[in-house]
Amino acid sequence: MKILIVEDEAKTGNYLRQGLREAGFTVELTNNGEDGLHLALQGDHHLLILDVMLPGMNGWQVLQNLRRQGKEMPVLFLTARDQVEDRIKGLELGADDYLVKPFSFAELLARVRTILRRGRSGTEATTLQVADLGLDLLRRRVTRGGKRIDLTAKEFGLLELLMRRKGEVLPRSLIASQVWDMNFDSDTNVIEVAVRRLRAKIDDGFESKLIQTVRGMGYVLEESAGA
Amino acid sequence: MLRRFSLTTRLTVIYTLVSALVLLGMAWIIAMTVSRHFEELDGDTLLDKIHLIQGIVAKATSPIDLRERLEDSLQNHPGLYVQIDDQAGASLFASSAFRFPDWLVRPPAGLSLQAVTTWRDGEQEYRALSALVPRHDPLGGDLRVWAALDTHHHADFIRSLQTTLWTYLALAAMLSGLLGWWVARTGLAPLRAMKTRAQAVTAHKLDERMPAEAVPIEMADLAESLNDMLARLQKDFQRLSEFSSDLAHELRTPISNLMTQTQVALSQPRNADTYRDILASNAEEFQRLARMVSDMLLLAKAEHGLLLPSAEDISLAAEAQALFDFYEALADEKGVSLNLTGEGYVKGDRLMLRRAISNLLSNALRYTPMQGQVRVEIGTTGALVSLSVENTGAEISPELLPRLFDRFFRADKSRSHPDSDGAGLGLSITRAIVQAHGGVAAVSSFDGKTRFTLSFPAR
Repeated sequence: MKILIVEDEAKTGNYLRQGLREAGFTVELTNNGEDGLHLALQGDHHLLILDVMLPGMNGWQVLQNLRRQGKEMPVLFLTARDQVEDRIKGLELGADDYLVKPFSFAELLARVRTILRRGRSGTEATTLQVADLGLDLLRRRVTRGGKRIDLTAKEFGLLELLMRRKGEVLPRSLIASQVWDMNFDSDTNVIEVAVRRLRAKIDDGFESKLIQTVRGMGYVLEESAGA
Repeated sequence: MLRRFSLTTRLTVIYTLVSALVLLGMAWIIAMTVSRHFEELDGDTLLDKIHLIQGIVAKATSPIDLRERLEDSLQNHPGLYVQIDDQAGASLFASSAFRFPDWLVRPPAGLSLQAVTTWRDGEQEYRALSALVPRHDPLGGDLRVWAALDTHHHADFIRSLQTTLWTYLALAAMLSGLLGWWVARTGLAPLRAMKTRAQAVTAHKLDERMPAEAVPIEMADLAESLNDMLARLQKDFQRLSEFSSDLAHELRTPISNLMTQTQVALSQPRNADTYRDILASNAEEFQRLARMVSDMLLLAKAEHGLLLPSAEDISLAAEAQALFDFYEALADEKGVSLNLTGEGYVKGDRLMLRRAISNLLSNALRYTPMQGQVRVEIGTTGALVSLSVENTGAEISPELLPRLFDRFFRADKSRSHPDSDGAGLGLSITRAIVQAHGGVAAVSSFDGKTRFTLSFPAR
């Protein structure tokens, strides 16, 4: 997957490039709007990450030009300003998502993956399997090593999210938003508690622990437990 | 159009118009009275003359005698003209050099000529009266007598009176206009004083006030309103500067922690796990800072009235239930029971309202002891929809209650709550959101319970 980043702040740009590369993406970085537009028109990027405030041509203008010339790749805006009008303007111009600085990298990564996944939804699996953990979406049933595990509705939702996005570190805010539809940061450790309780049901008594905490980032469900 | 003119001009014009109108009325009444008086006077004179003629007619022995007698007697009455006709309409006598108008001598049928009639002939003005006089000479029958007076001296008098009145009217109106202008200027002097005072108000001198006691009562209201406005501005301004200093202060501690931690870590080589730990701890701290900054921004926006909630129909019970689902794990952990009763609908922004209620719930959960209770009650009373969140637990002392909604205020600074990393902005945000919805946030604490109530205008 190829991503083009247009960001004039050198440090931010470099870290984003590094982070996304390490997450397995091919990344190109440029620091001004004209070059960004040129690269985007020439290349075959799957996603464009655009800063709004850019020297020369700003993010909106880049997006407008792109759309005018028939480029339909998804665009994620980064901005330091959080004005409702800005948000609306971005969405009207055809942006796919909008992140306000300061954002956490885990959040950005999760959003990037969400956007890229959107295009290729394909057939929705009705069962999910990670190692010996199985989740049956139709029968709302979870088993591990053949043993049935009872989960509450929200625990089921949380596990489904973790399993669908196995191997991805999911920040707390994303979990709150996807599972509970809470689109703001709670000042409590409620996600931590919820994950801990889910973990107690899924992992307790099993040799390999599937749900991992990545400190400072979030949670991930993956097979090959690092610890 | 009228707005273009100054108050002084308007008052002056109004004064002038009103006094002119009053004076005009007066002048009209005077002129009418005088001319009516003259008319009566002339009428009496004419009647006298008619009686005189009647006497002459009675004494006259023949038409010739009558003419002579009349001519004699009329010589003593300058300005009196007489015409006498007999029954057949033949003229018996007519003053020389005077002709009664035909409409008077031969009036159209049905027009009675009992009253005094006035008419003009060029410059002259005349009044006439007619009467039937019985004739005593052998011919018998009645004579029709007309007597007319030249009343030009009365007309002259009235004309000169009118001129005087008009002149006086014009002068007096002008004078009262001038007076009005002066009164308006003097009356409006306090306004100019207020203007001078207002010009002295700047961002640094917001304690300047209007002289509300020194201005007339009508303006005292305005002055007081302006003073209230200044007081509000001053308060807001003060809050804003407190806000900035709070912010700087609140940011200083975590930044200092981060800096120390990072520099200590860098001061000597360490193993990878230690670095990872430090970075993770830094990341957590940064997230807290980021959240604080965005919370502060939200509050700043709210204070500038920039929170523009969209208006959907929101079921408060549904929102509370969704939040119960969210906090279920946390409540379970502490053995705290969550209860929801009632239902109410408000118009507002779902995300914001949810956030407002969420802050109350997380606050309640934080301060509820193990096995405690959190109750959410929704109800509608009259035009108000209220949602209250009540939790059992230590009461909050009354003097702290009003400060609970203040930014960065923590009722219990010493005790650290492991399950909280809030910056003390939650309740401020709740209040800001509620106010943006036209509602009110309140808190009470007694009988081992603390209760936050949000009241919204009903849809």
